[in-house]
This record gives sequence, C-alpha cells and structure tokens, in this order.
Amino acid sequence: MSDIDAMIAQLESIRQQAQQDFAAAADSEVLTALKVKYLGKKGELTGVLKGVGGLSVEDRPRIGQVVNTIKAELEQVIEARAAELGAQADAARIHAERIDVSLPGRVMPRGALHPVQQGLDEMTAIFDRMGFMIAEGPEIETEFHNFDALNIPPEHPARAMHDTFFLRDTENGEPMLLRTHTSPVQIRAMQRFVGDGHEPPLAVVAPGRVYRCDSDVTHSPMFHQVEVFKVDRDVSMAHLKGVLQYFLSAYFEQEVPIRLRPHYFPFTEPSAEVDIGCVFCAGKGCRICKGSGWIEVLGSGMIHPNVLKSVNIDTSIYSGFAFGLGVERLVMLKHGIPDLRLFFENDVRFLRRMGA
Amino acid sequence: MKIPYSWLKDYVALTAAAEAVAGDLVRLGHEIEGVELPRAAVQGVRVGLIRSKGPHPDADKLSLLKVDIGEAEPLDIVCGASNMTEGDKVPVATIGTSLPNGLTIKKGKIRGETSCGMCCSETELGLAAESAGLLILPKDAPVGAEVGEFLALEEAVFDLSITPNRGDCMNVRGVARDLAADAGLSLAPHAGEPVAAESGVGKPVVGIDAIGDCPLYLGRRIEGVKVADAPAWIASRLIAAGQRPVNGIVDVLNYIMLDMGQPMHAFDADTLSGGVNIRSANDGESFKALDGREVKLADGDLVVTDEAGVIALAGIMGSEPSGVTDATTSIMLEAAFFRPARVSLTRRRLAMVSEASMRFERGIDPAMVAEAMQRATRMIVELFGGRPGEVVVCGDAFYGQAGRKLECSIGRIESRLGVAIPASVDEVLVRMGFGLTREGDALHVGIPSFRHDVTIPEDLSEEYARVIGFDAIPAILPPLVVSSPAKSERAVHSAVQAGFVQVVGYAFIAPAEQRRFIADATSDIALANPISEDMAVMRRSLWPGLLKIARHNLNRQQPGVALVEQGRIYNKVEGGHSETDTIAWLLTGEMQQDAWHGAAREADFFDLKGAVEGWLSARGLTGRFIAEAIPGLQRGQSAKILVGRSEVGQIGRVDAAIAEDFDIDRPVFVASIELAALPSGKRAKFVPLPEFPSVERDLVFLFDRDVVAEEIIQTVSKSGGRLLSDARIFDRYAGKGVPQGKVSLGIRFALQDGTRTLTQDDSDTASKAIVAAVEKRFAATLRA
Repeated sequence: MSDIDAMIAQLESIRQQAQQDFAAAADSEVLTALKVKYLGKKGELTGVLKGVGGLSVEDRPRIGQVVNTIKAELEQVIEARAAELGAQADAARIHAERIDVSLPGRVMPRGALHPVQQGLDEMTAIFDRMGFMIAEGPEIETEFHNFDALNIPPEHPARAMHDTFFLRDTENGEPMLLRTHTSPVQIRAMQRFVGDGHEPPLAVVAPGRVYRCDSDVTHSPMFHQVEVFKVDRDVSMAHLKGVLQYFLSAYFEQEVPIRLRPHYFPFTEPSAEVDIGCVFCAGKGCRICKGSGWIEVLGSGMIHPNVLKSVNIDTSIYSGFAFGLGVERLVMLKHGIPDLRLFFENDVRFLRRMGA
Repeated sequence: MKIPYSWLKDYVALTAAAEAVAGDLVRLGHEIEGVELPRAAVQGVRVGLIRSKGPHPDADKLSLLKVDIGEAEPLDIVCGASNMTEGDKVPVATIGTSLPNGLTIKKGKIRGETSCGMCCSETELGLAAESAGLLILPKDAPVGAEVGEFLALEEAVFDLSITPNRGDCMNVRGVARDLAADAGLSLAPHAGEPVAAESGVGKPVVGIDAIGDCPLYLGRRIEGVKVADAPAWIASRLIAAGQRPVNGIVDVLNYIMLDMGQPMHAFDADTLSGGVNIRSANDGESFKALDGREVKLADGDLVVTDEAGVIALAGIMGSEPSGVTDATTSIMLEAAFFRPARVSLTRRRLAMVSEASMRFERGIDPAMVAEAMQRATRMIVELFGGRPGEVVVCGDAFYGQAGRKLECSIGRIESRLGVAIPASVDEVLVRMGFGLTREGDALHVGIPSFRHDVTIPEDLSEEYARVIGFDAIPAILPPLVVSSPAKSERAVHSAVQAGFVQVVGYAFIAPAEQRRFIADATSDIALANPISEDMAVMRRSLWPGLLKIARHNLNRQQPGVALVEQGRIYNKVEGGHSETDTIAWLLTGEMQQDAWHGAAREADFFDLKGAVEGWLSARGLTGRFIAEAIPGLQRGQSAKILVGRSEVGQIGRVDAAIAEDFDIDRPVFVASIELAALPSGKRAKFVPLPEFPSVERDLVFLFDRDVVAEEIIQTVSKSGGRLLSDARIFDRYAGKGVPQGKVSLGIRFALQDGTRTLTQDDSDTASKAIVAAVEKRFAATLRA
C-alpha cells in the first residue's frame, strides 16, 4: 500500500469514528469537545496532515482535497447534531417548566367605587357635557337658605313635609339645620353669581348629601341629591323637558319616555313630578312600577319668581328651570338594587359587585 | 284624602271607569295613591251584634264574645280589642273570609278558647291606614248583612294625595270641580235653602279680640236636639273616606267638611258659660283637648274661649268638656275662617294634626262659611230635631270675597311654558271658577275666593299647563352655556384604583365614638333632634364610621378589609362651624390570603403608608411621615403626615383597646388627610431620559435600633455628591448576629451622570463620602 493510500485509509477511519462519536454525543458540551478532538487545530484530522511531507508533490493536493471534504462533511454533521441536541434540550427545559394554568392568578387588590359615587360621577358628567357648572354648598344650613329663600316661609305647610334635623346650638342667634335638599345651593350659587356682578345665563349642577330625620325601609336619614338649574332669558318649560329627556336617556343608556305631572313645590311654578317609562318592564306594567308602567323619579319646575327675587335676579328679564333628583333612587333603578339600606350598610361584597 | 266615586257623582255626571277618572286626576295634578275596591275586599264580613262579653280565663287583654250574625247560634269569638260593649254592632269576618291585609279567617283556639271568626277594625277592612279598636257600626245596621253592602261600599274609592297649595281640593266638591271643568261638564250646586231661626232660641254672644287671625266667626245655637247615630248613608261615606263615626252631630259636621271643605265645630251649649271670645292665648294657659291631651298654650296661639277659659284651639281641636255627647241637648255650632299661617304655626309647635287643621292650614273658601252653617243646621234639624236660633256673624261677613284680580301677559305665559295657548283653553279655566278676559296680549283674571294659591302670573301659567297637559309641551334642548372647566376633585378615585373599597358612612355618629379619637367635646356639633343617640353628633373624624363598617364586614367572614371614604367632617369654630372635605383609609386583616404561591400576610403600617404615599404621588405630591403621638392611635405606630411644611393628615395603628370597643380584635390601621390642606400638586414636567446607565452600590451598617430611616437617607443624599440619583433602604435585619439594641440596615444608592458613563472611581469616591458621613452622624459601623 502506498503512503497515500494508507493516509486515505486512516482519514476514512477517522471520519467513520468521528461520525459515530458525534451521533453518540449526549449533549452540546460533549459535542464541542469532540469537535475540538477531530477538527481542532491540534485535532486528529490536522494530525494526519502532518504526514503530508512524505508524499509526492502530485499526491499532496489529493490528500488536501480529501481532508477538506471530510472536514466539511464532519462540520455539517456537527451542526446538525448540535441543532438536534439544542432542540432536545429546549424540549426538556420546556417540559420541566410546564405549569398548571388552571391555578388561580396572584390577586391584585381591586377596589370599588361606591355605587352612589358612580351615580354622582355619571350624572354630573352628563350635565358637564351640557355645559352646566358644578357647584357645592354647605350641609349645615340656615333656615333662610333651606326654606325662606326658596319661598317656604315658616308657616308654610311644606315645611312640615321636610323632616328637618336641627342643630342643638344656634349660630349668631340663628337656628341651624342639616339641609333637607340640595336646593339651597341654587340660592348660594345665584347669590354669589349675582354678587360677583355677573348676568345670566347661569347653569349649575349641584351634587351633595342631604338629611331628613326619617329612617325606615325606604328612608335613610342621609342620602344624596343632585340639583340642576338654569337661569337665562326665555328659559321655558320646553327647555326643562328637553334637558330632562336628554339627561334621563343618557343616564339610563337607553331612550326612556318621560311624563310630567302637575305637582306642587313652593320653589317652582309651574311644578311637575317627572316619571320615566318603567325601565324594568318597558312600560308594560310590573311589580316595580305597581302596574302603572311609570316610575316617579324627580321633581321639577320653573323657578318661582320669589326665589329669583330673593337673590336679586330681574324676573321681568330672566326665567329659569330647576329640578332635584334623588341619587340613590336613580342608581337603584339603573342597577336593580332592591333596598336603599344596602348603600349605607357598606358590605364590601355588595360594593365590589356594584363597583365597576 | 279618600273619596268614594259615588260621592263625586253627586256633583258631576261622570260615567267613565274609575281607572280613567284616576288618570284624569293625575293629569290635573292630583296624585293618586291608589284606587280601592273596598267591597270586593271585604266579601264575607257581616254585621254582628255582641250579645255578651266576658273575660278570657287565661289572658287579661282578651275578651270572649258571643256575637249574633243572624244565624241559629251566636258565634264564639275571642277578641283582643277593648272598645266594644254588649249591644254594639261590629263587622265580623266569618270563617273562610280573606281580608285585604292577606289574613284568611280560620276556626281556631286562642289561648285555649275557641274562636269562630274575627271582629274587625277599619284597618283590617282596608278602610283606613290606622284605627283604634273595632269599628263600631251604627245601631240600625241589620244583623247578619254583608258589611260591604250595608256600608254601600259598592264603588271605587280614590285615595288622593292633595298638594299643600290646593286647599280648595281638600273636599269632594273641589275635586269634582276640577274634573267637571276638564271634562266640560257642569258642577252641581250644594243642595238646600237657609234654615230660618225659630223664636225663643238663645243667641250666642261672640266677640273677636284677635281679628287678624280670625276675620270671620259664625255661631248658632240649636236647642232640643236628640243626639243619635248618623244614618247609614252618612256613616258609610265617612267610613269609606277613612273616618270613624262618632255621634250624629259630629258625623254631620265631618260630612260637611269632607263634602264642601268647611271644618265646623259643635259645642255642648250647656257646658259653656257666658259669651264666646276668639283671642290670643296667654303663655302658660292650657286646656284639655278632645283627644285627651293636656295642651300647653303659648302667646299667639288662637283660642276660642268662654268666660271660664279655653273651649277650643281655633281650627285645630275642641276641648273635651265642651264636646258633644249622646246626652247633649243644646249645641252651639261654629263656622269660621282662621288665618292659615296661625293654625299652621300652632299645630306644628304642638305636633297636633286634625282634619280641620289640615284644611285651615291650606286655606278654606271664605265664601263657604255661611253656607256650611246653613247646611249643617238643616241636616241636624232634619236628622236629630231641635230648634235653630239666629246665626250670629262676628267679623267681616264678606271677608275674602271681594274678588282678587290679576293682570297677565299671554305672551309671557307662552314663553314660560314653551307652547302656544289657544283661546279655547280659557273656557276650562272659566269652568274652574276664574274670570278671564283677553285683550290682545293682556289677560285680565278674576280669582275665585277658594284659590288662595293663585297670586302671580306664574300661578296662572301653571293652571294653563295643567289644562293643556304637560304632554303638549315640546322637549327642546336649550342653547349650551359653556362654563369654565373647573378642576375636578377626584380624590377617592385614585384610592380605589389602589385597591380600596369606597364606603359612604353617616355624617352623624355616637358621642362616645367621637370621644375615642377626640377627647374634647367643645367643638362637637350636636343635633337637637337626632334619630337616635348613636347618631347624635356630627362626625369630626371619619375613623369611627370606618371602624364600624370594618366590623360589619369582618363579622361577615371577610378575611381583610381595605376601605376608603371621602366626606366632610364638621367642627364648631369661632362664630360658626366648619365643614372639611376629608379622605380616610382603613386597612385591617389579611392583605393576601393563604394561596398556592405564598402564605397569608396580615396588613401592617407600611401597607397603609404605601397606599397613602401612592395616593399623594398620584396627585404630584410627596408626603413625610413623622412619628407623633396621636389620640386613639397606638404609641410608636402613629405619625403625622406632612406635605411641604404643613400637616395634612395622620396615620397609625388604632389603639388595641379602642379597636376592641369596636369589636375588632386584630391590628387596624387608619389614615386621614384633609383635602383642603393639600397644596395643588406640581403638573408633570418633561425631563429628558438618561442616555448613560446608572451604577448601584450597596452599603450595610449597624445602627442603633431607634435610628430614623428618613434621617439616614437625608444624610446619604447630602453626602453622596452631585451624581447621587437615588438612595433607599433595601434591607433591614435585627436578630441572630446583630447585637441587642442594634439593627442592620442595607442602603442602596445609585449614581448617574447625564453626560458620560461612570467609572469605578466615581462610585468609590461617593461610597467613601457616604460611609464617613453616616458613621459620623449615627455612630454606625459599616458591616459590608
């Protein structure tokens, strides 16, 4: 056997051995070591080339060619094996890292806005869109603001209808009370507006707490109202209806029919109770609307001239409408809450459920 | 007010179904509480005669009755009422009857005694909202008859809620007037002619001292009356209207009041001494009212008196001794006009209500006073005999009848209503009693004597609106008024985002609860008429309310609660009071429950502090928490909260004993911030993002246990040089390996330069400076 043939045979046996070893390599580290062993600078293939000096000049390129072919082939094998091992390792890791996705997630604490707050937010936002200014007033009030200025003099029968909480002590000799409605904000807002030298138009929405000394299934000694009024030239009852229609449909997120019934409030003339078509039975008649198809939601009317006069607004030029609504009542209707007391019991299970 | 349909038909020829009439009434502004069909509801209830009444052997409050209902044997009935005697006739619900209140009568034993039916009150028959004892039927009621038939409960009864301005509709004819006008029908007049005086009958002597409060008073004697029960047709209408028959005279007067709106009174003339005078009461005067109450009068109260004293509180109630009884033979009838405001003030002060006062308060028709007197006389003489004397008129016989006038502009009314008013509508108002003349845009209006509520053009606009119907008014959105956008205060919202549940508590609490956190009561605002002692003072802190809500929830198996409330607190201040918008938090119990990924963790101070810091930071503010003793909070776990230099709130753990008072036996943490005390936060400003990385270094020192972390961070910040961008405590350890009284704190600081990458030298320099400063300031020793 010539030298060259012996070298070729040697190379062939390296190739075969290397292929076997590569295939048997259990992981990428072993594979890397094998790569160095066979293909490294001091590897076996290179080692064979050291004997090339004994070959003829014609044979040298041949050996070089054979070595290159084997080297290229082995490199390909290594690469393929490496990819194979990598895939195996990935699969093993992924398998090891598998989880039970049905286990509950870590709880991020979730708060809840009180349903009354949500109602107040939604209602004031609707009036805000309509260009009404938001105003607030004191809850501890004078008889003047709560009654007299609203055309309810001391002997007026309507005073008896407000179950008023009085404070034990007077202020500056005046009896003080917890406001029975948000209507005194009308007076305060207009007083301030006129006092600052402004002329109407004035459009105000006044949310807030009110108090009546009455406590049973359907009455809470504290509840919330939103007072809405507008004073301008030529304000008419038709405008009142327009605003009510828009507001009630926006709040209930559906077109609700409204009905005005003549009523009596000392601070409006004409006065009207406002009903909406029952939101539970679409006006067909159910338990909630007592079969009438209508639900009373608020009181409204054209501001009584005596009220405007009490804050020095010229009634020969200006007129206005006003209405006041019970927040809890509307929230109960919107969300089907059956019992007023739930609002003040503050059971977090209820609050979380309602607290979008 | 309850009005049987048949009564309305006395005055107006209505033919529609009761439901349709109810709809018309609502449209006209008379709220309907309900339309009742009393007869259908009391089927099976019969007139029973009480044959005997004896005590129940085993119960003091029960009686054993034998009641004859026209059958072979009287029924044995056990009865809990006490107002009946042998010989009375009462409604008896027989076995199997279902009453309006849902009760079905069964044969049964009550405390061992057999009962074969039930004697009923008005309430049980659904005829009145409340009643005292059994309904005693007139003597002429036929035994065994259906009560519904006897009382002629054949028709619907309208339950009306008359608004306070419509005194004219506090009677059947007034309501009939509205219906007639609306339907275009005529209104029948009251029947009857005046009754002439007979000779030889006494004439009351009447004087009025308080002419301002009593402008008109009519008196008349009727002698030789024989008081008996009112006939069934009167009794049944009274019962259907929710009133109880008393005696014939009183029943006739009540009938007239319900029918035409004039409250009247009858005195037993033989009990009166001397002339009658209507005057203001003297402070301290008193009298015994018909309802048995001893009434203390005050200056200004209007009273009817004889020479011996007060015989009636004018327009509200007569006195007991002067009342008409079955033994009465001579009466003095009173018909008067009392000033509404006077009646209202007195009856409100005394918390008395009567059918009469409700009508005087709202204003009666002065034109009806004399007519009512004549009608009452005629009915009494016809029914109970007697000889009427002369009517004595004291005061202004024509009071209130001059006819007030009002000038209006049709155009103005149209502009207020937003709808045109056709002239044809005027006819309806004329039928309602108004005198109307149009002259171009001008409208001349004559107001009838019974419409005290119509005084200004707006009142007339309401009349037009009622007649036209509110449905005819279009709905028009008014032009927008654009107001300046106010910064909205949404304090509670960011707390909710952080996981707290918003609650709404009452603004009034128990004084004892207030004292838990505020020892001094001088700034308490107390209610004069609280619902209960638990709600007697206005809250000066939100904490007591939150604690009660926390207890409520912990008692309902909530493992932990995180609450936030925004609301006002109220304090008495020099010359007045303050209302301060405040936000408060409460945190207690488990922050996290036992879970597959970790064990349960009980909330602590730093959970709540973190929430408050986060809340402040959402408003662009940074708070400082400085240890401070705070009433009601546990010493060593409480702090005041400062923003800038001003104190804005407080935080801490509720004293264990106080938590115990609220029935909470675990650590509870509370915080509160006064919203008005907060400066407005800085609006976020743009700063370029760093281009070069920061480097971090950790230093661990041994400190004294009582070291204040905030001071360490201040020292680090001051000594770390201009590159220092952050410094914080990342580790805290006290235990094995750390000497008693010491604590190991790890401080991590970061350096950053906007212009270059930092080197080892930079951090070494900073480290050295920090170590030196910290060791010097706190006598600390570097551990690593």
